[in-house]
Amino acid sequence: MKAINIFRRDSHRWLAFGQDPEKPGNVIDTNQMVIQAGNATMLLDPGGMEVFPSMIAALTQEIAVDEVRHLFLSHQDPDVCSALPLWRRVCRPDLKVYVPWMWTGFISHFDRDANMIAIPDEGMEVLVGADVRLRILPAHYLHSPGNYHVYDAKAKILFTGDVGAALVPEGARQSMFVENFDQHIQYMEAFHRRWMGSPRARDAWVEMVSSLEIDVMAPQHGLLFKGGDVRRFIEWFSKLEIGNGVDAFAARRG
Amino acid sequence: MKATEDQGAPTKGRGSGLESRAIVMFADCLKAFHAFAELSELAENLRILSLNAELAAGRAGEKGRAVRALTQYTRELVNRLHLIQRQSGQLMQQTYTQLAGLMREMHQVRLLAAAEHRVAATGNRAAAQTIGRGRSALLEPLRRDLSGMVSSTAKLEARIAQVAEVVSAADSIATNIAIEATAAGVHETEFRTVADTMRRYVLELRKMTDDAGSAARSGAVKGERLERAAQSNSAAF
Repeated sequence: MKAINIFRRDSHRWLAFGQDPEKPGNVIDTNQMVIQAGNATMLLDPGGMEVFPSMIAALTQEIAVDEVRHLFLSHQDPDVCSALPLWRRVCRPDLKVYVPWMWTGFISHFDRDANMIAIPDEGMEVLVGADVRLRILPAHYLHSPGNYHVYDAKAKILFTGDVGAALVPEGARQSMFVENFDQHIQYMEAFHRRWMGSPRARDAWVEMVSSLEIDVMAPQHGLLFKGGDVRRFIEWFSKLEIGNGVDAFAARRG
Repeated sequence: MKATEDQGAPTKGRGSGLESRAIVMFADCLKAFHAFAELSELAENLRILSLNAELAAGRAGEKGRAVRALTQYTRELVNRLHLIQRQSGQLMQQTYTQLAGLMREMHQVRLLAAAEHRVAATGNRAAAQTIGRGRSALLEPLRRDLSGMVSSTAKLEARIAQVAEVVSAADSIATNIAIEATAAGVHETEFRTVADTMRRYVLELRKMTDDAGSAARSGAVKGERLERAAQSNSAAF
């Protein structure tokens, strides 16, 4: 599994893990983000069961498991949550698991004993280490009805879960970042048209993130956006026609 | 930044032999429960037969006195069958719960073992030990669920033995009704039909207990072997 530093200032780091060559072909590729601040670490969407062995092997090359104190789950999907019981087995017993309030009962199907902190609709702040204050921002209906992104104002990085996600063929991945935005659209367009169901939620999200300073936008699938590509993505997404699954109803009516 | 290399550790396979053995054991229990599913219908047939036999005994007057007593005993047997059926239903529910726990724990143990192997291959001994401790902690609930399943299988065998006792008693009743029929004069045909029908039900019940018993025995043997493997060889997980 690839591991890259996407931000580093003193003991404050963001790491991105992904593009696991050992991953079974029928399992969707995921990016796992890790934020380290001093001796505290937070995992963002740490991946499903199938990538757990590779992920922990890559993670422990960089960070001691005992330093993982926070685990954030943006929504309820299995590629986000299913390894939760495994992480709890290896992390410290006081591990805090941040979960959308709406999904606590559902995620308990993966791990009923986890110490879950329910994230309210409007989001919340989480202090990692002594001085890294992360903002958990609402991103409901993009795609999940209870869904959040994470913003680090110091690092100027926005973790966006499925927003910005792309299904990039192995041969088209030169790095973990988008190299050519226009070329990249083909890998994310169909996904966004179908998975993102609410134009109203999308518009609210665009307005919210447009006020943030973002150097890197890190989705949970595909490639990360940096520099001007972040704005390019927001602009592109703001104009995209979404929710195209509804077309199936009309097709059925003939 | 260190780009880690994957070490080709087995993410599949390790411990999966035990998972398949647990599934095979469960399949035996399932076969036994499946055979039991017919119990309720057979018990109901037996109850209706006993009611009809009682009516026939009433019509036979003094000559039907013994048959009447036998039919009352048959109804007691039917009540016992219903009770066994209810207990088996609870047992089945419990066995499903234990299997679900067992499969979940085995799957997690397998993934943790793969993780431990990969981390060890990177030379990070401390991290591998941390994961190893997590894996070991899972073995306890795994063994508990496995023991629970073995114990449920033993209980299932006990229920089957109880049904076999009822079957044997019903067989005796059928024989006694047939004997009573020989002295029942004009009611002989009616009593003989009751005895023959009851014998048919007895045969069906016996087949059911044989099928369920052999599946439960096979499950119990596999369960005990699996439990021994789990107790004696943690590394197998």
